[in-house]
Amino acid sequence: MIELQGLTKRYGDTRVVDDISLTVEQGEFCVLIGPSGCGKSTTLKMINRLIAHSEGRILVGGEDVTTLPPELLRRRIGYAIQSTGLFPHWRVAENIATVPRLLKWSTSRINARVDELLALFQLDADDLRDKYPHQLSGGQAQRVGVARALAADPDVLLMDEPFGAVDPLTRDALQVELARVHRQTGKTIVFVTHDMDEALRLASRVALLNGGRLVQYDRPAELLVDPANDFVRDFIGRADLGLKLLSRRRVEQYYQPAQGTRDATITQAATTHARPTWQVDADNRPLALIGGRLEEPATVRTDVNGEWTATPDMSMKEALSRMVWFRVTALPVLDDQGRLLGEVTMAGVMGHRP
Amino acid sequence: MTSPAVSTVGAGRVLANRVLVTLLIAGLAAAWLLPFASMSPNRLASGQSVALGGALTMWQAAGMLVLTVMLGLAALQRPLSRRLAHGVTLTASLALLLITLYALGDYAQRTLVERSPSARVSQGAAFWVIVFCCALAAIDTLQRHASGWITRLGYAALAGGAVAFLLASGHFRDLSIMREYANIRDTFSDQLLTHLGLVGAALGPALAIGVPLGLLAHRRARVRGTLFSVLNVFQTIPSIALFALLVAPLSALGNAFPFLAELGIKGIGAAPAIIALVMYALLPVVRNTYSGLKGVPPATVEAARGMGMTQRQVLWRVEIPLALPVMLSGLRIVTVQAIGLTVVAALIGAGGLGAFIFQGLGQYAIDLVLLGAIPTIVLAVIADFMLQMLVALSQPAGTR
Repeated sequence: MIELQGLTKRYGDTRVVDDISLTVEQGEFCVLIGPSGCGKSTTLKMINRLIAHSEGRILVGGEDVTTLPPELLRRRIGYAIQSTGLFPHWRVAENIATVPRLLKWSTSRINARVDELLALFQLDADDLRDKYPHQLSGGQAQRVGVARALAADPDVLLMDEPFGAVDPLTRDALQVELARVHRQTGKTIVFVTHDMDEALRLASRVALLNGGRLVQYDRPAELLVDPANDFVRDFIGRADLGLKLLSRRRVEQYYQPAQGTRDATITQAATTHARPTWQVDADNRPLALIGGRLEEPATVRTDVNGEWTATPDMSMKEALSRMVWFRVTALPVLDDQGRLLGEVTMAGVMGHRP
Repeated sequence: MTSPAVSTVGAGRVLANRVLVTLLIAGLAAAWLLPFASMSPNRLASGQSVALGGALTMWQAAGMLVLTVMLGLAALQRPLSRRLAHGVTLTASLALLLITLYALGDYAQRTLVERSPSARVSQGAAFWVIVFCCALAAIDTLQRHASGWITRLGYAALAGGAVAFLLASGHFRDLSIMREYANIRDTFSDQLLTHLGLVGAALGPALAIGVPLGLLAHRRARVRGTLFSVLNVFQTIPSIALFALLVAPLSALGNAFPFLAELGIKGIGAAPAIIALVMYALLPVVRNTYSGLKGVPPATVEAARGMGMTQRQVLWRVEIPLALPVMLSGLRIVTVQAIGLTVVAALIGAGGLGAFIFQGLGQYAIDLVLLGAIPTIVLAVIADFMLQMLVALSQPAGTR
């Protein structure tokens, strides 16, 4: 979908982007990452020609980007930036309608599209349509910013550190949402960040840049287990490599069948603490864990509450964190009705090769 | 015998509005120490002072006393609530202003009946101080209360209307300044229109040249330094010098090309005045256009370009709407400045209200000077007020 061929940007004698070649396939989520000044933002902005490239070629959908006037090219490519860049004098609906209006869509088509996008980002259209950007929370503004980028249904979406200026909690929610929107729309996304956790969480491919050069372009797991050199290893962070890997894994890849019993009188786990027993109610909802505590007898009973359970789409990093925090060796994995699907255990965390 | 409660709290707790207290003290001191009016046997002789007490009738004095006490109460922390105090201040200061104006006209009517026709009554220092203090008290209260534009407009219209009514009713006809006005009535409206015409003729070109230059300064960093230094030089030339400097080249031009002279391009008159006014107006227009555009967040402009707006669309849809309040503030500065500077243009024969001022200075006729000065001030205040409203209205809805 996007092809960079020997892409170079020079300012005088300095090459801020130096001979980068890579291909982003249709539907891919490509994250450009690297330390400050590595040329990741410049690379991104050369794709929609906000910055002119010095050498090389850029193909979007097989077409050289220089064949179109830059404005027409940009209307076909979504663009979202840090601190949203929302137009402060336009209402939310007008902001989202920016590109459709430039493309002279009919009013009814624009209105329908605005509603559709607000719904996609789970924003309340009646409440937000007529608000001005300064009346939005940081998270809402950022969602509107991404919705605006998607307004004319572009095949390609460029995002320049879009979540750089929001608090960690909001950023977390936005990442989850962007991943969902990406799954739902199948857009090709190029996303710039300097945050490795964000990259690992979102990317289907990571391009690691340093000093204007492409150091490694790989799937996140390959980047983690097979780093090209010490720079990559350092940049990922050697210390919590294992945790980073687990942050890429989801509970559904790890959980195993659990032993449930409806026997309310049970006092001792059937087996050792490595395989505890779950007491469940008539609907198969877990009530208590029998055993499953380190250095405690297998008879100890721990009531299940919402805080130390797992869901299939939870990251394994979070599941492990909960096990450590609540000092249990197993978490019940629940479906959306709260029924016991299985369990993840401390031993199970190690059970997979990365 | 002060009560202990009062003596223990500081002055800040007793006084709620120090500005009002200061104005009251100034007004009272002026009323006590300075002449309210002066009476002279003819137009040019210096007059004999009349104190406020001597000029007022009983009910006027009583009314002024009551209003002063009301203002005094409004300045205190108790017994009035803040909201009530604001209302009292606005009402009482306007009423006090009107009574003062009325009293002066009334005094002139009463005294001149028994004098010779050439005798004159004119306003004294205490009159000016009281009028000034009343106006300041009202303006300060409006700003303190952060009153909305509707309130301000309504209040200004009420005050202006009342004063205009007093003027139109002929109540001031016996005042020296109004007798002077009667002498020049025919030329007054002409000069007023000339004055406004000069200001308008200067503002048009100033905007037409200044806004594009401001845009240029924003777009081209290299031009900016030179441009601002040149415009700064204009601003530092004293206005009389600039008017004078333009006389020689323009008269040469007019002599060389007679058709230009017919169009009004000659050494004296409107042409050099307008050119000088434009030159003075350029710096504020260019500077405010530039800083208005510079104040548009770069992220907003980048987003606009990234969305696929052309440079023209970015300018008209994003940059100008967001820069407009700052640009209009520039227009406000320039308009007020041009109204003032046009006074000086009378020196090179351009006419305008300045003509009365210089004529009056030449004849040592202070009333004639005031006939030029007061309308100039009123024009400037009205223009300032209207442009302030325009600035407020131009705030983009989302950033108000």
